[in-house]
This record gives sequence, C-alpha cells and structure tokens, in this order.
Amino acid sequence: MKIVTTAENLQTYQIYLRIIQTIEKFLQENNYLKLDLPALSPALIPEGYLEIFKTEFRYLDTKDALFLTPSPELFIKRLLSEGIGDCYSMGKSFRNSEPSSPKHQPEFTMLEWYKVGKDYKYMAHEVLKMLSEISWELFGKKTITYQGKSVSFDKWEEMTVAESFKKYADISSEELFDPNTFIAKAQKKGYVTDGFTYMDIWSQIYAQEIENNLGTSGFPTILYDYPIQFAALSKPNSDGKTAQRFEFYIEGTELGNCFSELTDASLQKKRFVEDDCERMKSGKIEHPVDWGFIEALEKGLPESTGIAIGIERLGMIFTNSKNIEDLKLISIK
Amino acid sequence: MHLGDIWQVQKTEFYSPGKGSALMRSKLKNVSSGKTVDYNYKSNESIETVDVTSIEMQYLYKDAENAFFMDNQSYQQYGLLLSVIGSVIEYLKEGESMYVYVHDEKALNIRPPVNVTLKVIQTEDAARGDTVSGAKKEAELETGVKIMVPLFIKKGEDIVVNPELGEYTGRA
Repeated sequence: MKIVTTAENLQTYQIYLRIIQTIEKFLQENNYLKLDLPALSPALIPEGYLEIFKTEFRYLDTKDALFLTPSPELFIKRLLSEGIGDCYSMGKSFRNSEPSSPKHQPEFTMLEWYKVGKDYKYMAHEVLKMLSEISWELFGKKTITYQGKSVSFDKWEEMTVAESFKKYADISSEELFDPNTFIAKAQKKGYVTDGFTYMDIWSQIYAQEIENNLGTSGFPTILYDYPIQFAALSKPNSDGKTAQRFEFYIEGTELGNCFSELTDASLQKKRFVEDDCERMKSGKIEHPVDWGFIEALEKGLPESTGIAIGIERLGMIFTNSKNIEDLKLISIK
Repeated sequence: MHLGDIWQVQKTEFYSPGKGSALMRSKLKNVSSGKTVDYNYKSNESIETVDVTSIEMQYLYKDAENAFFMDNQSYQQYGLLLSVIGSVIEYLKEGESMYVYVHDEKALNIRPPVNVTLKVIQTEDAARGDTVSGAKKEAELETGVKIMVPLFIKKGEDIVVNPELGEYTGRA
C-alpha cells in the first residue's frame, strides 16, 4: 500500500467541506450535541459479518489489545442511557477486509445521529430536511443532478423491503419471510443455495436484482421494514416478521442506515451471543465483547432512533463524483 | 461457467452490503455472444472454472462481424466475434502476433497486449505558447482509431498505447 496525494481534487474537496459544514450547522441548530469520541476501544459490539482492525497498547510489561471502532455506536448508546439526549458524532470508522472500491474505503467518515423519544419514521423526515438544506446551500434549489439524472428532495419514494422484492425480483412476501420457501425460490431463479444461509442468499438477490433500482425515480428512496434477521440492533415490528430499520438510496447508492433502537437488553444480549458465534465460526479476529454496552441497556436506553450516514458517499452525490477518491486530497492505496 | 455458458471475468469488486455475507461484484462477458452481465457472487461460492490454453497466433484481418487469427504452428484459423474482443481490436495491426485463449478447439478471446506501438497519421500541430500542463489533442493512428495525446506529439511519430484503456502511455 502507498500514500497517494491528489491535490488536483482541491475544488471538489472544498465543496465536500461545505457539505460537512452544512450538516453540522443543521444538527447544531436542531439542538443535537456534538460528541467527540475515541477511535480505539478495548471491546466491541460483535458483528457477524464485519472484520475489524486490531492493535495493541504497550507500556513496560503490559500489553492491552485495542480495536479501531467499526462504528461509534457503543460509545453513543452508553451516553444515551446516561441521559445525554439528542446527539451526533462525525468521525472515522474502520472496517477491515473490505478493499477500496469506488463507493467504499476501509477507513471512512461516518455520521451517527440520535434522536430521543422518536422512531425511524421521524428520522426519515429529519434526514430529508437535511438533504434539502445541503442542496439549498450548494445550488440554491431542492434538486440536484447526479450523473445526468435529476434528484429532487421534495419527498421520499417510500417502499417496504417486501414491496421491493415483489416489484423487482418477483418474490412475494410469503416467499420472502419464510426461509425455506425463499431458498427454494432462489434455487429456481438459478442462484447457488447449497451451503448458504437465508441471509447470504437474501443479500445476493438484493444486490443482484433490487439495489440498483433504488433512488432512480427522480427522488431518493427509503427502503424500510427489514426482515428481523437483518436488524440486529433495531426494534421489532408487531408483525413479528420485520424490524424498524430503513436505508436510503440515491441512484442505487446506499447512503444511510436507520433503526428505531432496540432497548430490550435481554434480546440484545441474545443477538450479541449469536453474532459472536458467527464471528468465531467464520474465523474473524477475536475481540472482547462489550458487555458494558448490555449493562448500559439494562440501565435503560431511552426510546430513540439513530442513523448512520456515509459522509464520503453523500459527498459523491452532491459533488456529482463517481469515485470516493475524487473528494480526497490524500488516499491510501 | 455461469448459467451453463462460458464467460470471461472482466472486472471484480468486493462489496459488503452490511446485510448478510459479503459479495464479489463481477462483470462477466459471454465468450459466445459478447454480451456482458453484472453478477454478484457470494463470498465462498464456488465457481466452475474453464481450462484454457493460450496459443500464439497472427492477427490476419477482420470483416464486419469477426476477426480472424491463425495459429503460427498448426496454421489453423480461428474466428472471434468483434463484440467479444471489444474495442481492443481497433488498436491491433494486421499481421501482429498475440495470444488467443482456446478451449475445446474454440477460440474464446484474445489476451490483449499490454502495449501496442502505433504510428500517428494525423494530428494538428500544437499552437505555440500553449503550455497548459496535461493539455491533450486528438490524433488519428495508423489503424484508424482516434485517441487523445499530449500536445508535443507530431504527425508521423510512433507512440505507445494501452489498447485496453485506449490511452496514450508514452513515445515509442
């Protein structure tokens, strides 16, 4: 790997800075407290499908394992349970084993933003307001052009996950929510299913047949109510099949992921154990599980909603860039 | 092998959607029709690979649909659809040698040379004083293809081109 400077991106970088300033201004005007959080942690939330970066603190004879945080969530939820209230953090997150691509880098800037006493539908409303403000600040209107296509922030195109599978993949909601029927349907469509889980195959069909269509109707798309298996940290819906999670998309690019936060400590504990097992099974780097996070939930996480937004990706959309690197003055390749 | 056909992997990109396992986004080209598709393979999904031999051949000529190559040893001729070869063909000179992938007596595709040297047959002289760094102008090469070259390149010069990207890489 090497360090590559791209000072010729200065103009795009300056627009990217204005986007960040507009986001922070919007959040601060709406009374969200800015949190400055550590990048290193001695324990992490186990996430079955994420690989992590491990390092070490050394002093004399002591060696303490430390991990670069893949998300600031473990810190923020502790503070929420202490009663800190509405807040946000914008900082670097780190994900190992995910090579750089036009839309992703292993080190990236993540905005996490929490509203107390509200659910994911409220957050959808807030996010749209923020997108409109960025558009106003940069272009003086509520519409932008991305790669020749016009995107208006007047409203969301709203679609449930079940509706999207029906519309783009011809999979009914009965088929979608029953793993065995779903796998049989996938096989009929020509997907390899032997040795793969419902989640693996779901993910493949989603990427293959659905994702590229999202956010292409002239408005950003909100895709909501994910099958319960895909919503480890979110509140289940009363239908028993889905959980309160949404993602939003512009021109096929996923920009953010929102939950109504799971406040049930015992359910969270169960999901921690399952995810930790999944990590062990797939040979991922071992890390201490952050049980302090569960203790914070036991203490009482207030009803709240939180969203994580990839800031470089949002920057790509608003600067009409095709590659994250176009926003950067320095990249590690 | 993908859905019963032979495809050539053109590009891959790791993709972790944050929902279930990671995927390998791939661009595949069907070696019989030239059609390309995007396909997302699951991590750990096994794929049947096709054994190919690469044989040095001479590029003979092309017609409206095909390009023809000859095995330098056996003198056997092979045809390849232009849609399978893609834009690389525009940078190849008749009579040149290159490797062709063959499977089961059938040519699948060429292995594009990393560089080709081509003569500039037409380009405007750069205006004096035009010193903007990185500025480019159009040049027509001996195969008839047009590419962008630096201003200092003159008509009649040999230049080196990357045929896959269609980009100037240097003076010959």
